[in-house]
Amino acid sequence: MLKVINALLAIVSGVLGSLLLFYVLNKVVERLPKKLEERVKPYVFVGPAVVLVGFFLIYPAIRTIIFSFANSDSTAFIGLKNYTDLLGSSDFVSGALLNTLLWMIVVPALTVAFGLAVAVLADRLQPRAEKFTKSIIFLPMAISLVGASTIWKFVYEARPKGTGQIGLLNAVLDKFGIDPVAWLQLSQAHVNSLLLMVIMIWSQVGFSMVLLSAAVKGVPEDTIEAGRIDGASEKRIFFNIVVPQIWATVITVFITVLIGVMKIFDIVYVTTNGNFNTDVIGVRFFTELFTNGNNGFAAAIVVMLMIAIVPVMIYQVRHFRMQEAQR
Amino acid sequence: MRGLTLTKAVATVGAVALLTSGCLSSGSSSSSGGKSGGTAKTTVEIMFGFGGDQTQGFKESLDPWAKTNGITIKYVPAGDAFATLIRSRVAGNNPPDIALFPQPGLLKDLQKQGKLQPLDDVLDMPKVQSSIVPGFLDAATVNGKHYGVPVSMNIKSLVFYNKPAFTAAGYTVPTTIDELMTLTDKIKTSGTAPWCIGLESGPATGWPGTDWIEELVLKQAGPEVYDKWVSHEVKFEDPQIKAAFDTYTKIALTPGNTFGGAKSIVSTAFSTAANPMFTSPPGCFLHKQANFVTQKGFLSEAVRAKIDTNLGVFAFPKGQFDTVEGGGDIAALFTKGDSNVTKVLKELTEDPAFGGVWAGPSDRGFISPHKDFDVSKYGNEITKSIAKIAYTASGIRFDGSDSMPAKVGAGSFWKGMVAYTSGQQDQAATLKAIDDSWPTG
Repeated sequence: MLKVINALLAIVSGVLGSLLLFYVLNKVVERLPKKLEERVKPYVFVGPAVVLVGFFLIYPAIRTIIFSFANSDSTAFIGLKNYTDLLGSSDFVSGALLNTLLWMIVVPALTVAFGLAVAVLADRLQPRAEKFTKSIIFLPMAISLVGASTIWKFVYEARPKGTGQIGLLNAVLDKFGIDPVAWLQLSQAHVNSLLLMVIMIWSQVGFSMVLLSAAVKGVPEDTIEAGRIDGASEKRIFFNIVVPQIWATVITVFITVLIGVMKIFDIVYVTTNGNFNTDVIGVRFFTELFTNGNNGFAAAIVVMLMIAIVPVMIYQVRHFRMQEAQR
Repeated sequence: MRGLTLTKAVATVGAVALLTSGCLSSGSSSSSGGKSGGTAKTTVEIMFGFGGDQTQGFKESLDPWAKTNGITIKYVPAGDAFATLIRSRVAGNNPPDIALFPQPGLLKDLQKQGKLQPLDDVLDMPKVQSSIVPGFLDAATVNGKHYGVPVSMNIKSLVFYNKPAFTAAGYTVPTTIDELMTLTDKIKTSGTAPWCIGLESGPATGWPGTDWIEELVLKQAGPEVYDKWVSHEVKFEDPQIKAAFDTYTKIALTPGNTFGGAKSIVSTAFSTAANPMFTSPPGCFLHKQANFVTQKGFLSEAVRAKIDTNLGVFAFPKGQFDTVEGGGDIAALFTKGDSNVTKVLKELTEDPAFGGVWAGPSDRGFISPHKDFDVSKYGNEITKSIAKIAYTASGIRFDGSDSMPAKVGAGSFWKGMVAYTSGQQDQAATLKAIDDSWPTG
């Protein structure tokens, strides 16, 4: 009870406090000469937000960059050693780094492809059937990645032969008299990593489908009609008329999933913890910081990840601007 | 205009960078962890790495004492996340008053950072030393100073068997590793897999494998080599350690020796690995595991209901040596000079009778590290015989992987056992990878 009251008090005082802050600042600015007031006012309103973001985002980011040049308990600078050590260990480069790259190549593309396929196909169903299909496909979005991973871990579960398989895949194999396969240990050709990617795709297709479906429905009927009259095939209509018109949405979905995948942690941590050559950057960062207590390595990994994500974000922002300009 | 914004942005970032650069924390200067002074807290916070039934037993043992002394205990069960939690609490300068470390390696790590208080002036050390099983305090001793005292203990050098089936088949308990090998072969010829082994343990997968290697190093190469191995004076690539891997290979990886085959070892959960032992006919006859296998959640309830008639146990047979391997929760002190915190720590570590309620009667996996602990307090015969193995042992060593730096003991060693057992990596490559991962300096 006391906690509830505390929480309410915090919310009320927080909201009222910020209202008061803006009110007072506004009053102060209004006292300035008219010309100056107009120039200063926008900064007064955007200022607190910028300061907060700066304090909670930019400052930690800069500290992280600094720590990435320091030793494991952040007491002395050691130059670029963290980076050279990390990039010099095959364990990191051909393990975590390569796997993350695979995730980046496979997951966003497949998520968009499946989402688009479902969006287009569902568009042709009866309204009720369409709703039902979409709901089912959207459902996994409601499950946290940890939950999804736990579910899929059971799908891939392998028990010794003859003890009764509780894993779905192995239960099917068992029915056909095939020996159980320890799926998550199949590191040849990164099969196990691909199986983990299935989890991500499974949970993200709903998101991709919803956005793309809206875009597909937004394609003007007359453009498609015109194509039909000119005798274009369905395939041609889809690739040359529909896809170009929804391309902006495709890019948005692709990039959102891509950024999510670059930071992927939960799925790998829950299922294999990076064993059997499934390690990714996110898990490696966690291991370095919390298991190995190596702040330097952990910071260096994060900085590399930041450097990798920045171009993607810049592209997205520019793409967004271009789109705005077209409107 | 755009150029100007860019310049401004660069200038801002530069300014922030200047302001924040060069301010690395200066390590040992904050050594006391920020908590000191002649105080007497009314609430003492204890953090520990076990959960469930164990927590309940711990509370029942400590709460009545705390109540009579007017101290409130704040229990923080961290479970598997102990290492993560304690690290972030310490890094945030907000450690608990007392922590029960499941891994001495982590304890030593924090000691090195100057976060722990030495206990030599706080506790009656000679009394503790004479009471605790020999060799067990060494795990938390640095340069002759004691930084931790075990509160509870588990015994790892144990082999469990299905008592009725074992007796019916006419097998006898082996007393040497050679006899164990003969028994293994004998069971295999009868058409049943001798061993049930499981290494799967979620994110901690692999640790039961490290127990095997530690056991064999202790028994074959002896405690002295073992200690040097734990501190990396003896490398993994050393022939004496290789020999342990060879014996492990012979027992676990020989075709037909393990239930489900060597391939399934890494995907079998350690907690339920022993279950096939009690099917009819038995899927296997032997299972090496620590004493906590008798706790709830491991064997089936049907087996547990009559545990003393169903389950048999013998000490892992001796090789050249017969030192016993164990683990435990080691109490360490963060808060300096607080009379109530000290009182709690004394109660936890000095009283040989502590944990009587925890021990019995419902078997919550507690074994006291005090030799003089009243054995009759244990809830069943099997725990009594396990405790006797520990109390009469010539020496006991702490779980080696738990004493190694976490990077190895909770990282590359675990992963190495998984990669080696599943056949993804050969022995030479595994040993080299673990050696290479040892932190320098």
